[in-house]
Amino acid sequence: MYEGIRSPVIHTPKTLSEFATIAYRYPSAIIWAGGSYLMSQKEYYPSEIKDGIIDLGSLEEMKRITRNDRFVEIGAMVTASQLLYAGKLVLPPVLQETLRTLASQIVRRQITIGGSLCVPDIRLSLSTTLAVLDAMAEVKYYQGGKVSTHWIPIAKLYDKDGKLLLGSQKALLTRIRIGLEYGDYQRFVCVEDPIRNTDECVIVAFQASRSQNSLSKVQFCITFPSKAFHISKDLESKLSGMTLPIHPERVNTLSYELVSELTKMHSGISELQLERGRRIFESFLHDLNAQSLSS
Amino acid sequence: MKIECTIDGKALSLSVNSNKPLSLILMEDVGNRTIISHCRGKACGNCIVLINDEAELSCIIPAFRLRDANIRTFESYQKTRQYRDIERAYLATGNTPCPNCYASKTLIIESILQELTNNTRIKALGRNNLPLRNEEQHEEKLDKKAIIQELSLNTCQCMDMSEMMQIVEIALTYRRRKRVRRN
Repeated sequence: MYEGIRSPVIHTPKTLSEFATIAYRYPSAIIWAGGSYLMSQKEYYPSEIKDGIIDLGSLEEMKRITRNDRFVEIGAMVTASQLLYAGKLVLPPVLQETLRTLASQIVRRQITIGGSLCVPDIRLSLSTTLAVLDAMAEVKYYQGGKVSTHWIPIAKLYDKDGKLLLGSQKALLTRIRIGLEYGDYQRFVCVEDPIRNTDECVIVAFQASRSQNSLSKVQFCITFPSKAFHISKDLESKLSGMTLPIHPERVNTLSYELVSELTKMHSGISELQLERGRRIFESFLHDLNAQSLSS
Repeated sequence: MKIECTIDGKALSLSVNSNKPLSLILMEDVGNRTIISHCRGKACGNCIVLINDEAELSCIIPAFRLRDANIRTFESYQKTRQYRDIERAYLATGNTPCPNCYASKTLIIESILQELTNNTRIKALGRNNLPLRNEEQHEEKLDKKAIIQELSLNTCQCMDMSEMMQIVEIALTYRRRKRVRRN
């Protein structure tokens, strides 16, 4: 049916050094993790793939989950489903919730952590939560016969519109590292499906520490999949140090500050998305208030 | 690219493009009649197959990942005893999915039933056979949410969620009874 289209060569490196050799030899080969994003592209099949595909499926060193007292390291080829089953002890609650709501289990088996973070133009739930958790990604750059390794905070992997910033050189995200010191208040909300309903979807992750009714280390990230990846350092610092309960009027003011920041910095976010984002943010603060009053 | 795999119990050696989606292989190269649409990975949920006994969306599985895989489509699944549980549940509720999504919805239900029946012991008693504590019971409530999430993978609107949930519950009862009898 698709005559004249050459079947792409599949390279299956078993180690990272084998990957490096292949990456130098075939610089424009497509790196294949889970494939769920690549295969959902319009031009995916039939199409001519010149340098072939580098399938990461056999790289065992990228499928490990390790943990020590300070952090968890997750290989980029670990699937969302495997990570979720890794257990409560390994993952922060907000990450568990993110993985649970990421997609149905059938799709979760296919989605890899590295693949989800390296989608070039759409930001999904995982990036949002990992940015809030201050996770770091190990990225290996392959250029001029040399490999250089960098640890980059997830929040710095993307620009303000959510586009991936790995540069033009061949790069491979090999693992992520999540610190085990996180806030005692964590929330994650995703409204609408980010794949099926990209233009209406809003993803918010939030974490904070509470001690004696005082908020500290507040971190939150609000994502509009194809439009914005927003971390407000200004609001975070305003919230850190506040005493609970926060006056409802102040909550309202803060939420509208978020909206004005979003409209100033990002274009194309719809009214519906803005209102959703504002209300989710407000609901977190009201929830914090409610918990502080009931305790 | 030559790929050796088993499709519906038949060992096949297929010569296909290495990046061709499984849904297209089944439709064009194998002539399977239960996969009727190719959504190009948009996750319409109409192309579910069982690969090594796990439900997968065939539109996001490329040919090169199929080496030595055991693929079961609805065509062979409908001849199994497991299918009878779901078929009986359809009859008992009087609700049946439309012909477009029948195969996929049935395979999604099968995947849910497998998941539920495999984890029953842990869920009922908890680890070490101790009764569940409050926080663990909270996980039980989430199960319903997870089932709804699985069922909503298929976007066909021919049935509502409450009807689907009812079918899952009844099919699960049949499946458990069958297991008890076997034991």
